[in-house]
Amino acid sequence: MEPSTSFFDFIQQESAKLLQQTLTHTGLTFISVLIAIAIGLPLGILITRRRRLSGLVLGIAGVLQTIPSIALLGFMIPLLGIGVKPAIVALFLYALLPIIRNTYTGIQGVDPAVTEAATGMGMSDRQLLLKVQLPLAMPVILAGIRTATVINVGVATLAAYIAAGGLGEFIFGGIALNNTGMILAGAIPAALLAILFDWLISLLQKRMTRQSRMRLYLLPLILIVLSSFYLLPMRNNARLKAGFTPEFMGRRDGNLGLRTVYGIHINPLVISDMIMYKAAYEKTIDVISGSSTDGRGKAFDLVVLQDDKHIFPPYYAAPIATNTILEKYPELEPTLNLLAGTINDSIMTALNYQVDYLKYSPEKVAREFLMQKGLYQPARNGSKGTIRIGCKIFGDGYILANMYKMLIEGHTDLAVSTKLGLGGTKICFDALNNNQLDVYPEYTGTGLLAILQTPAEITDTLIADKDKVYTYVSREFEQQYGIKWLKPVGFNNTYALMMRRQQTMDLQIKSISDLARYLKK
Amino acid sequence: MIQLSHVSKFFEKGKNAVDDISLTVNDGEIMVLLGTSGCGKTTTLRLINRLLDASSGTVEVNGENVRRIPATTLRKSIGYVLQNNGLFPHYTVEENICTVPQLLNWPREKTIARCHTLMHKLKLPPEQYAHSYPHQLSGGQQQRVGLARALAADPPVLLMDEPFGALDPLTRDAVRQEFKSLDELHTKTVVLVTHDIEEAFQLGDRICLMNAGRIQQTGRPAELLFRPANDFVRNFFDRQRTQLELSTLKLRDIWDTIPSSHNGENYVEITGDASCWEALSLLTSSPVIATHNGTAKVITGSAVMNGLQTYKTR
Ligand SMILES: Nc1ncnc2c1ncn2[C@@H]1O[C@H](COP(=O)(O)OP(=O)(O)OP(=O)(O)O)[C@@H](O)[C@H]1O
Ligand SMILES: [Mg+2]
Repeated sequence: MEPSTSFFDFIQQESAKLLQQTLTHTGLTFISVLIAIAIGLPLGILITRRRRLSGLVLGIAGVLQTIPSIALLGFMIPLLGIGVKPAIVALFLYALLPIIRNTYTGIQGVDPAVTEAATGMGMSDRQLLLKVQLPLAMPVILAGIRTATVINVGVATLAAYIAAGGLGEFIFGGIALNNTGMILAGAIPAALLAILFDWLISLLQKRMTRQSRMRLYLLPLILIVLSSFYLLPMRNNARLKAGFTPEFMGRRDGNLGLRTVYGIHINPLVISDMIMYKAAYEKTIDVISGSSTDGRGKAFDLVVLQDDKHIFPPYYAAPIATNTILEKYPELEPTLNLLAGTINDSIMTALNYQVDYLKYSPEKVAREFLMQKGLYQPARNGSKGTIRIGCKIFGDGYILANMYKMLIEGHTDLAVSTKLGLGGTKICFDALNNNQLDVYPEYTGTGLLAILQTPAEITDTLIADKDKVYTYVSREFEQQYGIKWLKPVGFNNTYALMMRRQQTMDLQIKSISDLARYLKK
Repeated sequence: MIQLSHVSKFFEKGKNAVDDISLTVNDGEIMVLLGTSGCGKTTTLRLINRLLDASSGTVEVNGENVRRIPATTLRKSIGYVLQNNGLFPHYTVEENICTVPQLLNWPREKTIARCHTLMHKLKLPPEQYAHSYPHQLSGGQQQRVGLARALAADPPVLLMDEPFGALDPLTRDAVRQEFKSLDELHTKTVVLVTHDIEEAFQLGDRICLMNAGRIQQTGRPAELLFRPANDFVRNFFDRQRTQLELSTLKLRDIWDTIPSSHNGENYVEITGDASCWEALSLLTSSPVIATHNGTAKVITGSAVMNGLQTYKTR
């Protein structure tokens, strides 16, 4: 599989953006480290003076550290919305523990004889701290800052999920678009930044011998300069604020299409699919790039703008499987096809709604649907072989994968293992193509554009007709990869621009053309 | 002058680390706090410079209750030498020594001059050592830097917690000798903690012997040896008793028991201020003759031992 652009082509084309993202990334990292120092250092000092607080403070900082970064970013959204603020707060919270802990242990680690000598000489508490404890603890404190910085360079890539920019934009965009060059354009600079900062601080640590105490006063200065790299990424002058997923941003049938076909220049924030709907509901943003069958659209009362110029190709879901596995277990194909044509758009939206909003487990939703259709049979616990089913990290995928699992286990003697919630198209497809998965549900549009990277001339002739697209991808997958598209499930989970119902009524916007007109006003 | 009156200190209720101590250290005197490990010597010392505050009783330095003086002011006027020297590892020898003058905002030239004078006196040539770091020095040198640091601002009072504790016997003896001959010390009021009996006898004008937080006896070395206040004091010195007695007693103390005799040839001549121990040591290589109050007497081993016995039964 050839990536559409090689790494070097990509960074050449996008050098301006790459530079900006690198600076944003650096800025994000260091603003948060700086705040963490400003708060963590005094806190660390405080708990060496009030020993009873130490357990509590270190405990809380430790718990914060164990919260998965994506979850922490998620928690921030209801409190601080999306964008820079929650990202900095989350990063700051991650940087806190290493700094507090190292300040504390650094000062605790100073030889008690030395502090006793200092006190005995007549130093005040302040002099003791500034002349003796901090200088002696400094290598340990710097090690803490070093750890915090490296952690933050890593976590800052996730900031792209909540529209705070940084190198994560390339990484997640690249994963979503199956563009290796783009992933590397984000990942390599991020890794280099981590290595660079780690090395620079280690240098400082080594230089922090007695002779160069002066140099230490430069540290805050350097940090402030680095922090200022965070030029607020969004100068948003459009009348409506848009938030698009990284995937949508880079696609011909996404933001590019909006620009060329509809003439919409809206300078969107890059935002994760996971928080986009809620952000729209909470009015942080107005226009989002949703998917038409997503249950959250229903949950948050968002409406789909009509794609009157047909830039979004059809995205019909169908299981794809390797020919190898289909030949090995001939009963597999008819079993997977049991679902064909049974789920239309509104059923899929309703199912997603049960999962996303009512918080039923995908398994329960899948089982109830199959029972209702008379397709459910209890698992036979067969041992003929194991089918590995995967799915992407979207509601549709979880539900479909669960249905396939139940169908296979109920209708055949095969067992099933699942790998659910894989990070994106690229991860799923590569797994299938490298024989680490046997089956996963995919969309025709994704196959056409993201996987096959079909040139524009060909797609233009296809995308108005869903059957043509299906036929094309079936043929190409068969030829190129030996992978078979089974029968479509029925629903079309296409891209869709969505807005709050109330706002569309207020602004009289029904279609994307209406939106374009409104923005030009 | 340092005066402790009925001072007690406990860390946990009901168990006094220091129990009702009364002690006076006169100006210019070296008072040795002697006792077994854990008997409260360090605690007593730290009560004086207020690294600890007494649970009851009063501590006075030069007539003033230490509680009335701000702790940092008090401490800057009291030199403090720690058991394991506590030098600042990130400071050079010079910076270490200049700590207190700097806290007192002495002019820079005065500080440096004072520092270099002290370094000369303590056999640490400044050209060679001023800019070394503590870890580059030997244990004995570190100990001397610790002493110089305590002396730097010329405090009237000096507290020393086992200052020679970490040294091997030979070095310890050398550092002790230097210490004893240091003119700086003659004007100072010194409290020196040790658990080394020999050291106590060598350095102390008076010795305060402690056990389990209580003072057993305070007095000149000879008083503790020959007029012990209780069994603890008597037993405490038993293992080294004879040697201690011999080094404590001067020839003049037993002068009248030494038989008069005639002058001879090839005698080593000493005075009545020499200790019996010194006389015996010299006797191992040559005959010895001592002069006291204008008379000269030949010293023999048996004369000394007889003298000691008579002294004790007197
Ligand atoms: N900070 C403290 N907290 C609790 N107990 C203490 C503390 N400092 C000393 N003690 C106790 O007080 C008693 C006297 O201790 P101190 O340090 O004065 O002994 P010392 O005579 O100096 O002994 P050493 O010769 O071993 O140094 C000991 O029982 C010790 O355990
Ligand atoms: Mg002690």
